[in-house]
Amino acid sequence: MSKRNVLWSWFWMFLGGLYFFLPLLATFEFSLKARKGVYSFLAYERVFADPLFLRTFIFSLEMAVFTALAGILLIFPTVYWIRLKLPQLRGLIEFVSMLPFVVPAIVLVFGLIRVFSGAPFFLTNTFTGTNVLLVAAYVVLTMPYLYRSIDTGLQAIDVRTLTEAAQSLGAGWGTILFRVILPNVRVSILSGSFLAVATVMGEFTIASFLVGIRAFGPYMSLVGQNKTYESSSLAIISFALTWAFIGLIQLLNRGRVQTQIAGAH
Amino acid sequence: MTYLLLSNLSKYYGNTLAVENFNLEVERGEFVSFLGPSGCGKTTTLRMVAGFEVPDQGKILLEGEDITLLPPNQRMVGMVFQSYALFPNMSVADNVAFGLSVRKMPADQIRQRVSEILKIVQLEELQKRYPYQLSGGQQQRVALARALAIRPRVLLLDEPLSALDAKIRVELRAEIRRIQQELKITTIYVTHDQEEALSLSDRIVVMNKGRIEQIGTPFEIYNYPQTEFVASFIGQLNLIPVQVVDRERGAYRIGEQTIQIEHSQRIPISDQPKLAIRPEEVKLGKVDGWNQLTAQVRQISFLGAIVRIWLELEGVPLLLDVFNERKLELPKVNEKVTISFPYHACWVL
Repeated sequence: MSKRNVLWSWFWMFLGGLYFFLPLLATFEFSLKARKGVYSFLAYERVFADPLFLRTFIFSLEMAVFTALAGILLIFPTVYWIRLKLPQLRGLIEFVSMLPFVVPAIVLVFGLIRVFSGAPFFLTNTFTGTNVLLVAAYVVLTMPYLYRSIDTGLQAIDVRTLTEAAQSLGAGWGTILFRVILPNVRVSILSGSFLAVATVMGEFTIASFLVGIRAFGPYMSLVGQNKTYESSSLAIISFALTWAFIGLIQLLNRGRVQTQIAGAH
Repeated sequence: MTYLLLSNLSKYYGNTLAVENFNLEVERGEFVSFLGPSGCGKTTTLRMVAGFEVPDQGKILLEGEDITLLPPNQRMVGMVFQSYALFPNMSVADNVAFGLSVRKMPADQIRQRVSEILKIVQLEELQKRYPYQLSGGQQQRVALARALAIRPRVLLLDEPLSALDAKIRVELRAEIRRIQQELKITTIYVTHDQEEALSLSDRIVVMNKGRIEQIGTPFEIYNYPQTEFVASFIGQLNLIPVQVVDRERGAYRIGEQTIQIEHSQRIPISDQPKLAIRPEEVKLGKVDGWNQLTAQVRQISFLGAIVRIWLELEGVPLLLDVFNERKLELPKVNEKVTISFPYHACWVL
């Protein structure tokens, strides 16, 4: 590449960086101005001191973990079975997995409340019931991420031959699924799970209608409406969380790429 | 009692015939190869024995037990795949131990068995390595060890050498035969490589378009092919149209030249009879007491140990193979030469 082209590349990269990072830097700078005249972490201290912050954060984290687990249990065996026995249904399943992108969250949550708040379910009558409904809604919401990750992982291995090899050695379906297939798509499942967790942690619409201020998303929104500096610090905290998850995915994927390169020898 | 019996097996995919009326009896400890071109039904038949495909018709009996509908994990049949199919997340030792641990064998016995079997395939040193750290040949040895570790009643190999380079293929071929004879394990081997089938097998089943063309020892299949397909699929073969002069006496004519064949031939001939003769059976020059014909040299190819001469006999191409030697005197291109072949070396299809 010529020297001139390199310069242009750097220029566009710099411009792109500015576009992404300038608002973030401005928010961060603003979040440090809670104390008049000096930069301080006062807004962050106030956020962390608020018992509601930790309570809502832990609640949403719990919901996120349950969502990821339920999603894996539902989607992993389904995708595996479709790849193995019903490949003709792949198109349909891919379409279904994309529906959460098409159906707005508000439509989804109203539908859920309408169906599950009455007989015979009455799920919204108790905290546990509502939490179950929330997790169920999140499983639907995060399905595209989990489905894509798991499907890509399964695509990278020869599912049919590995299954047949295990069968010929005497393995049943449980052994095949959890000792042979799952460990080989572990990284993909973890990537999908992190994306699901990150999505659930910041989700507002479904949480506000089902559990209100008990969840982190509605809490952040409330703080944003009432406390100027704290809302900026919360935005930075949620950015940091998302980046931490993305960083973890990168870390895990790097391990996978290295394995693939070694395998290519 | 026959050890493994495949009786009247048929398999269709929709309206497409994959295997039709397949009958085979395999004795204990025998090495049988299914040989044929792609799509001839050899792998489908093997997969029916493994339990991965269910036949539409027919039965599979193993040691007298009907296993036709038995799930693959209950058949005690070991399988080696073309793509190795090693579990990427497990080390060599764990791969080999997998079938034993599934059967809940005690850990110390598993260790002992894994060590024994890795010794047989000469991979003891690589126990802790992972599949991606092994060469193709080593991976296939591990796959073989893994299939053998469970002491299968039948070992099935589905084109196990196809993905390997030529040198490794020849080495591993000899290794497979050595191990099979050492363990006396009943083996079915699928291949489209005739050299592999001829060098490894006790018997070969030649298949074409879902049907068995011929079953026989490698010697029988090569020297006494019973159909035109077998004759042309195994080795090089000259097929020259002939006219019948006296079938009883084995007299035929090629153009203006007459030939004689041994009249004890067992195969019925077709409406358009063809003389079949292997290139190595045809000699340059006159040999008394043999058929003698005149042909014209068209091309000469040097193949190392063999020199292949392309001739034209009454307008029909004919191959002739001569063993290479330093003092070999070859004819010139376009030269007319006399060629000879014994009466017993040719047959009419």
